Amino acid sequence: MKKFIATTLSIGVLSAGALLADTIVAKKVSASLDNIKCDSPVWEKAKAAEVILYPQTTIILNDKKANELNKDDKAKRAKVKALYNGKRIAFLIEWADGTKSVQKGYSSTSYADGFAVQFTNITDPNKLPYIGMGNEGREVVIHLQKAVDKFYEPNGNKDVSMQVNVHNTNNFAKDVEKFEKKVDSLANRDYEKVFVSQGFRSMTEIKGEKLKAKAGMKYKDGKWKGMVARATNDEYLDLNKPAIAVAFAVWDGDKLNRDGLKFLSSWEPVVLSKEGENFAKAVLQKVQGDVKNGEKIAKENCAACHNYGKEQNAPKFMAPNLSNIGGYSTAAYLRESIVDPSAVVVPGYNRNAHKNFEWYTVDDKGHRQSTMPPFSHLDKKSQDDLIAFLQTLKAEVEK
Amino acid sequence: MSKRQLAMVMDLNKCIGCQTCTVACKTQWTNRNGREYMYWNNVETYPGAGYPKNWMELGGGFDAAGDLQPGIVPSIESDYGVPWDYNYEGLAKGEEFKPNIEPTWGPNWDEDEGAGNFPNDNYFFYIPRICNHCTNPGCLSACPRDAIFKREEDGVVLVDLDRCQGYRYCIAGCPYKKIYFNPKISKSEKCILCFPRIEKGLPPACAQQCVGRIRFVGFLDDEEGQVYKLVHKYKVALPLRADYGTQPNVYYVPPVEAPPKFDANGKVIEGSNRIPIEELEKLFGKEVHQAIKTIKAEKEKRKKTGESELMDILIAYQHQDMFRLDNGYYQEVAKQKNMKLAPVDHRYQAGKHTKISHFKAVH
Repeated sequence: MKKFIATTLSIGVLSAGALLADTIVAKKVSASLDNIKCDSPVWEKAKAAEVILYPQTTIILNDKKANELNKDDKAKRAKVKALYNGKRIAFLIEWADGTKSVQKGYSSTSYADGFAVQFTNITDPNKLPYIGMGNEGREVVIHLQKAVDKFYEPNGNKDVSMQVNVHNTNNFAKDVEKFEKKVDSLANRDYEKVFVSQGFRSMTEIKGEKLKAKAGMKYKDGKWKGMVARATNDEYLDLNKPAIAVAFAVWDGDKLNRDGLKFLSSWEPVVLSKEGENFAKAVLQKVQGDVKNGEKIAKENCAACHNYGKEQNAPKFMAPNLSNIGGYSTAAYLRESIVDPSAVVVPGYNRNAHKNFEWYTVDDKGHRQSTMPPFSHLDKKSQDDLIAFLQTLKAEVEK
Repeated sequence: MSKRQLAMVMDLNKCIGCQTCTVACKTQWTNRNGREYMYWNNVETYPGAGYPKNWMELGGGFDAAGDLQPGIVPSIESDYGVPWDYNYEGLAKGEEFKPNIEPTWGPNWDEDEGAGNFPNDNYFFYIPRICNHCTNPGCLSACPRDAIFKREEDGVVLVDLDRCQGYRYCIAGCPYKKIYFNPKISKSEKCILCFPRIEKGLPPACAQQCVGRIRFVGFLDDEEGQVYKLVHKYKVALPLRADYGTQPNVYYVPPVEAPPKFDANGKVIEGSNRIPIEELEKLFGKEVHQAIKTIKAEKEKRKKTGESELMDILIAYQHQDMFRLDNGYYQEVAKQKNMKLAPVDHRYQAGKHTKISHFKAVH
């Protein structure tokens, strides 16, 4: 608790008093959360908080059609509820999507709607992991659920004889049907995965371990409901804390969304008990500053390398695009990135894809050094003004 | 860049478009398990739409500044072609014989069509295509998960199916569209240059089965090998669309001889060649002029003196001489790494058996 106060005070003046309206407060329940589903009645006990999901524009991926479809994306509104019972914690996220997209069929161009919830153990609001799946030394755990009709794992189940084309077997007539039914029964119909990651290139699936996690999603009346329930404590995470930080992402399959082409929230505080409120305020902090002056500082100091909003004169792949940075970063992250860019080094593009702009160098010991120089020489007021401006950089929210 | 690079040379003067290579590959690797529509090896008619349809216009690869270019993921139905089937069993019941879907496109839909007006100046030739196992692969560069890797031992480019999440950016990034999405497992798959065969000293199935003996396989640094001689010594084997910037490692001996054109009266136009040099330049770059010149000069030399190493190589007297695969090299690699052969790379093996994550949980 002392740590919370100390760290929150260090990043700026906090408004005293009640929590901000849209802070996620996890409701403690006595009910079992072992078999909770999207439409379980127990969700009615929790209060919904609004979370805004912004289009990911830090990195532009290389699918021409998808980029075209997503270039004018607006931010999405989602409603989030949280429940916990001491053993398990569960999140429900609801967002509007006019088109239900399920990845299915013998198709290379079918993409799934989906969502993810990102967790961290870190409770210092100044040192949260990079929002894009963590960074070196600041690990995140991600629960992913996608709407995939059916898929087959390539290895492992010793059912290779069922993976051949039916015409390569000796089956005829009724046996063909039998064979195909058997193949169908081997399909996996729940595309639910858990990853551990220290930056989005390093994302690695956690397999073969009993994580006791359960996710699901359900579409009704133009809206998806997604649910993740997991143990509060396991090999990777200990969420038995007054407050934790989580982040959300959703994908729109109809717009060819997958991977980085997605809508994501900033770190959102989740308050589990009263002592966690200061953490929540620190994470949601808006820096007070002169936005106009901040814009001027940005133009003078940032726009040569970073593109954002109307400033689009920097070389395209030179540095992270800041157009939605205000939507999915905390004030503390922005300040840290300004004064100490190497503290969190965005893993960047595949370094082979844009060799002239590597974003960071790697020393002999494997430490990444950002190619951005520190701007710690900016005085406190200038920093505040700049951060206040950066916090305004975000897409308009969909009605 | 890998320590060594395995490469293939294909002599387009001898390709008869028989598709034996295609069948060898298909029966070995792609007739099952979601790969039915894939042709890791295909032979297409040039000029033509190719496979997948108009692949040269679908983007990917790098620009002159070295930046990966955006590309398009082709559709199985309209660009690759869905493998259709017939109602054989219905025939016995008196049904009309018909395909199960309305076929609108498939590999070789435009086979042997070519360009020009028959009989005056029509022409075509075949281009067999496999993954180029590029030195600077577009697929590898596009992958946001580091799921594609290039083997140190021989430069073979492989997909780590354990890391692959089926995002398909690799398909957009490959200018040759030689990496495919497997909808059944929701992951990308591609030509593996028959690495389990190669490690045993056998050539890839497509090369071994080639009835025209058009394919040479060997290490680019092996100066005794025919691949080295064709690519580096005589410089008659050239990469396809090197302008995509991926530094492909499959090389082609360009078609040198074609019949002359006819004039409006059906008379032979002396000295004419049906294959427009501009087309060859588009495919193989400016070097194609020198390559053709060298081949013609060596042909003359052979006619006059009876001797020409280049002609001997291209004639391919002994099929086994076309492959220098060096099983001993792989044995040595395996020994050093304390691994059994097939595969000799740790990454593929690790991927195959990974049960836990790369990171140890910390808290």
